[in-house]
Amino acid sequence: MIEFALSKKQHELKEALQSLGRHVIRPMSLDMDRTKEVPESFLRNFMMMSRGFRSDDIAEFQEGAPRKERDPSKPSEANRTAVIAAEELAWADAAIPLSMPGPGLGAPPVRATGTPEQKKRFLGMFRDMDTGPLKWGAYGLTEPDAGSDVAGIRTSCRKDGAHWVLNGRKCYITNGGRAVWTVIFATVDPSLGRAGHRAFVVEKGTPGFEVGKIEDKMGLRANETAELVLEDCRVPEENLLGGEEAYRSKEGFMTAMKTFDNTRPLVAAMAVGIGRAAYEYARDFVKQNYVLGRPIPRYAAIAEKLAKIGRRLEAARLLVHRATYLADMNIPNAKEASMSKAAAGQAATLACIDAIEVCGAHGTLQAEHALLEKWFRDIKVYDIFEGTGNIQRVVISKRIVSNLKSF
Amino acid sequence: MIAFEPTEDQRLMQDAVAEFAKATLLPRTRELEHARGVSEDIRRTAHEMGLGLVSVPEAAGGQGQGLVTTVLIEEELGAADAAAAFGLAGPGAFGRAVIELGGPERAAELLAGFAEEGGWDRFGAVAWSEPAPCRTHEGFATKAERTDEGYRITGKKAFVGNAALADRFVVFAQVEPERGWGGIGAFVVRRDNAGIRVGERHKTLGLDAASFGEVVLEGAVVRDADRLLGDGGEEGFTRAALRFFVKHALVVAARAVGLSRFAFELAREHCDTRVAFGKPIGHFQAVAFTLADRAMDVETSRWLVWKAAAAWDAGQSERDALLASARAAAHAFEATMRTADDCVQLFGGSGFIRDLVAEKLMRDAKQLMLAAPTAEQLDQLASAIELGQKLDPALVLPTPDTQAIFT
Repeated sequence: MIEFALSKKQHELKEALQSLGRHVIRPMSLDMDRTKEVPESFLRNFMMMSRGFRSDDIAEFQEGAPRKERDPSKPSEANRTAVIAAEELAWADAAIPLSMPGPGLGAPPVRATGTPEQKKRFLGMFRDMDTGPLKWGAYGLTEPDAGSDVAGIRTSCRKDGAHWVLNGRKCYITNGGRAVWTVIFATVDPSLGRAGHRAFVVEKGTPGFEVGKIEDKMGLRANETAELVLEDCRVPEENLLGGEEAYRSKEGFMTAMKTFDNTRPLVAAMAVGIGRAAYEYARDFVKQNYVLGRPIPRYAAIAEKLAKIGRRLEAARLLVHRATYLADMNIPNAKEASMSKAAAGQAATLACIDAIEVCGAHGTLQAEHALLEKWFRDIKVYDIFEGTGNIQRVVISKRIVSNLKSF
Repeated sequence: MIAFEPTEDQRLMQDAVAEFAKATLLPRTRELEHARGVSEDIRRTAHEMGLGLVSVPEAAGGQGQGLVTTVLIEEELGAADAAAAFGLAGPGAFGRAVIELGGPERAAELLAGFAEEGGWDRFGAVAWSEPAPCRTHEGFATKAERTDEGYRITGKKAFVGNAALADRFVVFAQVEPERGWGGIGAFVVRRDNAGIRVGERHKTLGLDAASFGEVVLEGAVVRDADRLLGDGGEEGFTRAALRFFVKHALVVAARAVGLSRFAFELAREHCDTRVAFGKPIGHFQAVAFTLADRAMDVETSRWLVWKAAAAWDAGQSERDALLASARAAAHAFEATMRTADDCVQLFGGSGFIRDLVAEKLMRDAKQLMLAAPTAEQLDQLASAIELGQKLDPALVLPTPDTQAIFT
């Protein structure tokens, strides 16, 4: 059936998160931006509170719990539900979903290629956060000289007895400083390209594994972005994701890419959330300042601008729903995932730019209840991280143009 | 639950229409264009398939299907020949107008003839626009004057789809000139009514297989019962007229999705096979990225149209359904123009030559954008809804004052 209505559970989740966002998160948003921190007390409360709403589906995303055996006739709604939650949280403050305790971006590669023991060990450790300390996982792929061109990573790994020795630098790692472990991508030999890649779970405190600079960013300031340094870092061989057997083929590289098919729609949903926040702000500003008082000559132009922001965001949101629908149905969705990310990054960035334009000078002021300038700063990176807009178009192109291996 | 899967019945109908469109319309698209009409044999086949009667109520001999089924079918027609989709027999826009403005009983009565034998040669039409905006008062120059038993209608309507073929019309005319757009009315006028004649057929940029022309009213007398009152009162009439226009726009938007798909596929095939500088031109990034963007246009248009159609079928609030439809149609119209334009552009010089269908798609796309409320008008409507403005007919209906449209 063709249907766009949310299930009752999804609707309740959306309402609850929106209420939390409006009454709790937004009032502390600017403060978090200034202090560059999401209060741990909030995160802890959020985890406790959201338990009621966390179906097993959501728990999978938040805690990285191993996927349960499913009745194939009853497909999961996990991906579809997760993007609804992501949009609402980002609508409140995008740093919140990114700073949520849990394995984060580290979960998909562990889940996709980890051995049963690795999954149990690295994902299982997030289950005691209700009583124990909050924990984060991270994903370390990008390097100073290799971002979108994943095949170009230079962090090296070599086998030495029962250990692997890693050397290199990773940068722009979300929650990298606080992570209890990070999935680090390294190469046995750069000349092998993708076939030379290996993925390791590197735990905090491993000798030779240090946190470098914590970045000072344009936006998303409350979310930590760190540099990670590996100097003769000795990683136990049991931390090689999937074990040596997994790397006989090109699996090593595929691990990195699989992550993105799952996470791009999630990031796209967050972008839509920020864009929607900006749209609603501009809409309400116009409503309060112009339309109900006296119409102004540029009204039609403003109306058109608002309408275009609104429909671009809706178009992006539907690509997100489409990509996650396919994921839930276990249908390959790389093209659709990239489409959602490309469209959302662009639509939401334009939404923030145009929303400020609509509000005029007011739009640029920084104040407790005027977060438009903050969203403008927050949104830009959504057209950059998890693959830039151009990279998404490379992914899409390869799936619509015949025999296109590379440009 | 969010799902993108047509039902089994919908799938069967979609396949049957796709087959008809591909086997019958596609090979003859130039023939129909040059003949400036859809030939009898094609109209007979389409009528036997029940194509013009999908959304006609069962009480009137139609299939009583919802808008989702309708848009699925219209996309398939548009993907072969959007012009033919406008030129097939059936009540078309007339049907949608009498359903919204006349209510179910009146509609059943007025649509009865279309399912009968000979229905392949029966058309309805909506006479809305006029050759020029009225200069003496807001509203239409065509007037409906009160008589003892009804109204006498005098004036000239323009841009009327299937004007020369239709045997019944919904004619919009000014009842109370002093009340501007709030003083208009809708009347059913039959072709055999004295005082109505078909004027000149317009020569148009595209959609040649459909005909558009003038309708001249020279004191046509109609009964009281022939006035369609919508939901009653000025506001109720505007609301019903708005529903008609917006649903009509959605159907035209579905054809636009089909046209976009056609243009995209044509361009993609060309970029796969045309070799320049030693490789297929699709292997150049500027070309591939253009294709990627247009692929996103096709998908976003389709999902927006589906979502809006589903909103009506699921009985969501009129506000939500109107908003979703306005966004969907505005986006689909702009997207189809971009896609058809890029199709010609990617073909280069050969795209401009009439040996290929690309140039026709581009002309049809532009024409189609004006065959329903335009993207600009729909954007004003969407903003009016979002800003909580009163839905003033002068603002939300596609008046000739703002931009004349074809119906």
